[in-house]
Amino acid sequence: MTLSRRTVSRLLGATALAPFAARAADVLPIFDAHLHYSHDAVDVLPPADAIGLLRKAGLKRAMVSSSDDDGTQKLYALAPDLILPELRPYRRRGDLSTWFKDEGVLKYVEERIRKHKYVAIGEFHLYGADADLPIPRRMVELAKQYKVFLHAHSDADCIDRLFRQDANARVLWAHSGFIAPAEVVAVLRRHKNLWCDLAFRSDQGSGGKVNAGWRAAFMEFPDRFMVGTDTFTPERWHYVIEHANFSRAWLADMPKDVAERIAWRNGESVFGGMMSAGG
Amino acid sequence: MARRWQILLAVLGACLPLLLAYANTEEWSTAERRAILRFGPWPPAPSRDASNRVSGRDDAILLGERLFFDRRLSGGRNMGCDWCHAPQRDWSDGFQRGVGRDVVDRNTPSLWNVGTRHWLGWDGAHDSLWSQSLRPMVDPREMNATTRQIAERIRTDGDLSCRYEKVFGTAPAFMDDEQVLVATGKALAAFQETLVSGRTPFDDFRDALQRGDAAGQAAYPDAARRGLKLFIGKGRCSVCHVGPTFSNGEFADTGVPFFVVPGRVDPGRHGGIAALRKSPFTRLGAHSDDTQGLDTLRTRHVEPQHRNFGEFAVPSLRNVARTAPYMHAGSHATLDDVVRHYSELDEERLHADGERILRPLRLTAQESNDLVAFLESLSDTPKPFVRRTADTDPPCR
Repeated sequence: MTLSRRTVSRLLGATALAPFAARAADVLPIFDAHLHYSHDAVDVLPPADAIGLLRKAGLKRAMVSSSDDDGTQKLYALAPDLILPELRPYRRRGDLSTWFKDEGVLKYVEERIRKHKYVAIGEFHLYGADADLPIPRRMVELAKQYKVFLHAHSDADCIDRLFRQDANARVLWAHSGFIAPAEVVAVLRRHKNLWCDLAFRSDQGSGGKVNAGWRAAFMEFPDRFMVGTDTFTPERWHYVIEHANFSRAWLADMPKDVAERIAWRNGESVFGGMMSAGG
Repeated sequence: MARRWQILLAVLGACLPLLLAYANTEEWSTAERRAILRFGPWPPAPSRDASNRVSGRDDAILLGERLFFDRRLSGGRNMGCDWCHAPQRDWSDGFQRGVGRDVVDRNTPSLWNVGTRHWLGWDGAHDSLWSQSLRPMVDPREMNATTRQIAERIRTDGDLSCRYEKVFGTAPAFMDDEQVLVATGKALAAFQETLVSGRTPFDDFRDALQRGDAAGQAAYPDAARRGLKLFIGKGRCSVCHVGPTFSNGEFADTGVPFFVVPGRVDPGRHGGIAALRKSPFTRLGAHSDDTQGLDTLRTRHVEPQHRNFGEFAVPSLRNVARTAPYMHAGSHATLDDVVRHYSELDEERLHADGERILRPLRLTAQESNDLVAFLESLSDTPKPFVRRTADTDPPCR
């Protein structure tokens, strides 16, 4: 290679996203607990291509919800071995700030959950005292009735309120509430049925090194954390591979056993058998 | 008696603009006044780039100007930097996406005030103007030259070689190819640093406000004044478009789609950080002249975050009315389109914990027009660019 070519490649090659595909069996599998395949994604990324991206990322499983639910069902029909469907209480993603006061949403969720099988209701956005409004209360009842999780994008107060409504509820806390690890730990200590996803957070492993506060959280609760991409726009489907590699990079800074649990074993043990289980 | 009335009316008529102006000075709260004053003063004091030892030197500026228009810097000897950054088009090209040897993925940014930026390019893949200046020359889709071609063409031109030696202290014959390329970038940067836009109607208003000059403030159109109030108030535009250049110099996801073509995305800032970290042409590399590390903090500490995926540079708004189209891929043809984008913002594209400052502004037609009037007041009076160098200049000795 000539110097000129080398210079060109140094200047230009690095500008590509460079999401190299996960390779072979030595690559850590990933259970991605936070994906959306909403109407706008369906419009630009055919289901087969979406599944192709997930497989290329080396995902073992993918928890998917969508607004509306059709996107999720399309992916599940195509790859039941890979997709774990969640029921999002949104017909359009714009419902996220109004759903908890919208009777139409309740009707929609009740119809869908009767018709299809899910591992969770969510991801939904709910904060503080809104958790105690009638529609969120009904969601908690539905989760109990259908033996599914609640996937909550919420603050700690809301999480506490959900468990007050049903002490035996099972909750996956999206983005771990976007709060500091010590605060996450405090909430985990209060609720034995709470699991946490780390979607759209970079602070736990920026630069491939695990933050001390997060390390302490992972070591105290190695069975309660999962990773997730959060494909909140169609473009972000093209970030799933990059995110899986980001996760592998910081997980490599953890003890192997803990890394594997967070990468995929926790998700697999908690959700993996739910689609084949009765009830 | 009639004569007295005539005198009284004449005095009142003469004083009316001043009275109105006085009334206008009362329309700004203390916080608004502070926000407005932060958009100046203009022009800024000249500053030098610590990573470029020839920054600010007149001989380097002249060499850079000569190179900027030199078509031999492209592989096919058919385009100079002015191919895309045309002076008569406010140092841009007016196209939706840049057109070099091929159509590229992004809009060609204007070079006005480019010397004030610490991250260069829509994705901030470069931390200096000289580094950014290297990329188009060797990008196959843009000027498509090789480092070797550029170095050889400069070495074999006696006049240019002489000028390089005078500026850099070493003749290109004694530099390796990469050093010649970098020297070219540094001279180009020295020239581009001089592309400072002129004073605008807004600047006159802002300075009048600062010195309490009521008549000076009165000259600023009412529509622009109302637009300014929206810009720093309800619109919250000044959260990102802040400071004398009307940019915080950082990056944002403003809900603009970033598919290049179906199935391929422009990763924006996320890709830019990755490129920066791999590049040898940064402030931390061997080619930087900032041996004391005076201006390396940002480069040393920048880390990619998930939110950076699909973020693009917050552009300066100076001369914005003359640099259409807008956004990173030129997706918005007019300022009206841009204002409409923020007025009708698609919240579904924004993460609930991402760009929290953004929300649909739901502007009335009057408000939209006022905001556009304000943006138009950020343009200077166009002046034709006059080159200081020419091919007919006496040869370098």
